Amino acid sequence: MNTVTLSDILLISPMIALFLTSLIPITVKVLRGNREQHSLATLSQALIGIIISLGLLVIFGGAGKTAFNNGLIFDGVTQWLGAVALGSAAVGMIMMYENPATVGKQFSELIFLAMSSAVGMLILVAAVDLLVVFIGLEMMSLPLYLMIAMSHEGKLSKEAALKYFLLGSFASAILLYGVALIFGSTGGTNILAFMGDAAELVQTSRLFLFGITFVILGFCFKVSIAPFHAWTPDVYQGAPTPHSAFMATAVKAVSFAAFLRIIATQALVGSDHLFDILQWLAVITMIVGNTAAILQNNLKRMIAYSSVAHSGYLLIGVITAGVSQNSIFGASSVIFYLLSYAFMTLGAFAIASMMERSENHIINIDDLAGLAKKRPMLSLCMTVFLLSLAGIPPTVGFFGKFYLFNAAVGEGLLWLAIWGVVSSVIGVYYYLRPIVVMYMKEGEAEIAGHSLNATTITAVVMALAIVLMGFVSGPIFSAVEKSLF
Amino acid sequence: MILSSVVFLPLLFALIVAVWPKTSSIRHLAFGFSIIEFLLSLRLVQLFDSNTAGLQMVEKHLWIERFGISYFLGIDGISLWLVLLTTFLTPIIILASWTSISERIKGFHVSLFVLQTAMLGTFLAFDAIFFYVFWELSLVPMYFMIGIWGGARRIYATVKFFIYTFAGSVLMLIAIIYMMYLTQEATGAMSANLLDFYKLKIPFVGGAFFSLQTLLFFAFALAFAIKVPVFPLHTWLPDAHVEAPTPGSVILAGVMLKMGTYGFMRWVIPLFPEASEYWAWLFMLIGAVGIIYGALVAMVQPDVKKLVAYSSVSHMGYILLGLFAFNSYGMSGGLYQMLNHGISTGALFIMIGMIYERTHSREIAKYGGLAGVLPLFTIFFFIVTLSSIALPLTNGFIGEFLILLGTYQAQPVFAYFAVTGVIFGAVYMLWMFKRMFFGAKGELVADEHHPLFDLNFREVAVMIPLVLMIFWMGIFPNHFLDYSKASIDNLVNNRTNYNLTIVEPGAAEIMHAQGEK
Repeated sequence: MNTVTLSDILLISPMIALFLTSLIPITVKVLRGNREQHSLATLSQALIGIIISLGLLVIFGGAGKTAFNNGLIFDGVTQWLGAVALGSAAVGMIMMYENPATVGKQFSELIFLAMSSAVGMLILVAAVDLLVVFIGLEMMSLPLYLMIAMSHEGKLSKEAALKYFLLGSFASAILLYGVALIFGSTGGTNILAFMGDAAELVQTSRLFLFGITFVILGFCFKVSIAPFHAWTPDVYQGAPTPHSAFMATAVKAVSFAAFLRIIATQALVGSDHLFDILQWLAVITMIVGNTAAILQNNLKRMIAYSSVAHSGYLLIGVITAGVSQNSIFGASSVIFYLLSYAFMTLGAFAIASMMERSENHIINIDDLAGLAKKRPMLSLCMTVFLLSLAGIPPTVGFFGKFYLFNAAVGEGLLWLAIWGVVSSVIGVYYYLRPIVVMYMKEGEAEIAGHSLNATTITAVVMALAIVLMGFVSGPIFSAVEKSLF
Repeated sequence: MILSSVVFLPLLFALIVAVWPKTSSIRHLAFGFSIIEFLLSLRLVQLFDSNTAGLQMVEKHLWIERFGISYFLGIDGISLWLVLLTTFLTPIIILASWTSISERIKGFHVSLFVLQTAMLGTFLAFDAIFFYVFWELSLVPMYFMIGIWGGARRIYATVKFFIYTFAGSVLMLIAIIYMMYLTQEATGAMSANLLDFYKLKIPFVGGAFFSLQTLLFFAFALAFAIKVPVFPLHTWLPDAHVEAPTPGSVILAGVMLKMGTYGFMRWVIPLFPEASEYWAWLFMLIGAVGIIYGALVAMVQPDVKKLVAYSSVSHMGYILLGLFAFNSYGMSGGLYQMLNHGISTGALFIMIGMIYERTHSREIAKYGGLAGVLPLFTIFFFIVTLSSIALPLTNGFIGEFLILLGTYQAQPVFAYFAVTGVIFGAVYMLWMFKRMFFGAKGELVADEHHPLFDLNFREVAVMIPLVLMIFWMGIFPNHFLDYSKASIDNLVNNRTNYNLTIVEPGAAEIMHAQGEK
């Protein structure tokens, strides 16, 4: 039972590879007598590690492959959302390389932490045992707290780190408490083991119901489902922009993977108690996220609230996957949405990051005034990101919403789909605002540094991808769906 | 391939204009492109077979197989003239904006061509999702057009425009998704194909609002009603029109409003025949109220552009009335009125733009006595005014007359009310004409520091095609109506069991050959 086979090692090789490459920059720094190597070298080592890890994930993963006595699973969800997390990490690091709040001293340590966090994400996305889930979650979160606190900016980032740490620990504690209760009522922590009895346990065992609710609440915090979202705007604003981008996409993708695995089963969502809770959480999240975003002046806070709203849409997909006999359609719509969401949110943060002149620079929406005249290309990219976030066709954001709501309507959740589209109308209002400012107001907005740098190229690539993926969304969606069988 | 070329050629033009290096020649380039596009669309008329009600020149490819969504373009008698209207107005708009758009010329023409693709796609798409993509896409360039080149309150106007129309259409998206599931139930395979939608028999319960067909009907109707816009939902229109630059107003009034009425003809009435019939009184009522309300409000406007904007509300009320009369007079009158309104209101907006360029004011009270100063302008304005108030021999007469005839046949009581609109229409237009063109010279006209110049060659060239169309459509309506007769008869006669067949390419020629024998 306790033997580790070669297939186990091969399956976790993406994590091993990622971890080993994360050690290179800091080792080099130690060997050089605590002097930074060139940031570009650090960045390229990290990117190579990510590419290797991604390749190993694709090669060795596959439907139904489990490692370590069903502790980890490497199915389609793991592969897709793991890839989203790794890709977001790569884009995040490219942004860190050029953002004034992160580049320069201690860059090696920063990259090490970011990659460790990515290892944690891979564990979380693959975990099927609640204890492994917890380990993954903590391994993902602890480096993030440090990374935020390491910002060169002196005040807001420290506040953000502390806030995130305190609330994050609190949420982890609740999650762990829930795991303990589940263990108490079922005698095990492996999801695959207790899911068979879950339908009955939810009805009969109060203890189990509490346990599973606590686990849900713990994850609601991580993916900022209202009313557990209060940290999101503060942390996204205070953290260096690349970190915000990293958190908004990668953390969300892997946490939703856990959501899909643990919650989205008929046994749980199918039961009346949990269905009602989740349904109202989704509605409240969409409304709160979208209306609060209208009131924001700070660009990063606005995107933060928009990410709250998107969690609400995603929760509809999770519920859909949960209530249906065949959860594949709903789950694929969630995965596709996360994929498209990663592109547009990373792009929007990349533009925000480029605008920052120094580590203390706060970007308000009005600061974008006149950008269209100076930087037509970047303004166009930003417009694409925002329209895609708003769900205007033919961008991929529209198709993401279309698949999500299509799945919901198919399962008879018409009510939730209508809430979804109505709140996306509210969303249009604030997504249009930066476009109005960029194109229709006079101003002196200018990006910091050169116009041709890595972040710019990334933003342009993201914008192109969003438009192109709109046209080929069908095949991509089918590929996602096929991989889940 | 011809329909794909017609739809996507403007997009290619937009790309070329976007990378064109010389700003000074962009206008010439864009004008040439729009003429090419217009000639290409004339080829559609040549290829069009007016004897069949079926769908012609069809191009159908599977796009998203998983959901049965296809790239599906086709044309029939209802779409044909709306496509021509779009391609006809675009070169005129470019020529009319030659001097009035002086900033960001490149962006303007790119928006214009993208908008053209979106509008043409809306009229030619026969797949629900494909249609929806074009429908929503049309908002974006228009949003920029009002927001960047518009007047003082442009940002308020453009955001209001965008949100209103977007809000209207999201429920339509849910309805489309729902209907895709209905096709799955009916045929086993999910499809977003409009022809498959037509075959659905959606249960209807009269009197119960929360019944399937009624709900779907209203989800679609709301989207189109906001776009038209019908009376209580029209408030975005005056704002958008007043703040939009001249070319924006022309497209908005000329083509984009037609997307709404076209939606009623293509989607709402044939898809939900029982619900449309049951609720026809409601739409005829808001149509009739819109006619009178629009006319009365137009009468008291001090701003001439706002006056024309409200006259649009009034004219669109006629179209709605005609469509919901469900007879061939009403329907063909409605379709004809769409074209008329596009041309005459477009011409009015262009002329208001011309005078605004000279005086920078649209206040009627500041004008007066223009007739003595600008004789050419006065003549053109007078002809267009007559067309707008539907004088016989002009195009407006044919449309309004057919609509009133159809309405009288179907629901006489609405015709009684609607006919007062004809009088009110004459009142507000002629009164405006009198105040602006006759009497003592107003402060702007008498201003000796800024003498007014009559129309130059370019402006005359802009107006001539419009005036020609006004008379052509007014004197020979059958040149146009003959093309759409088969389609409209099919819609009127088979409304409860509507179906469109795809006419195979080549079949038309065979039929002709047989007919000649």
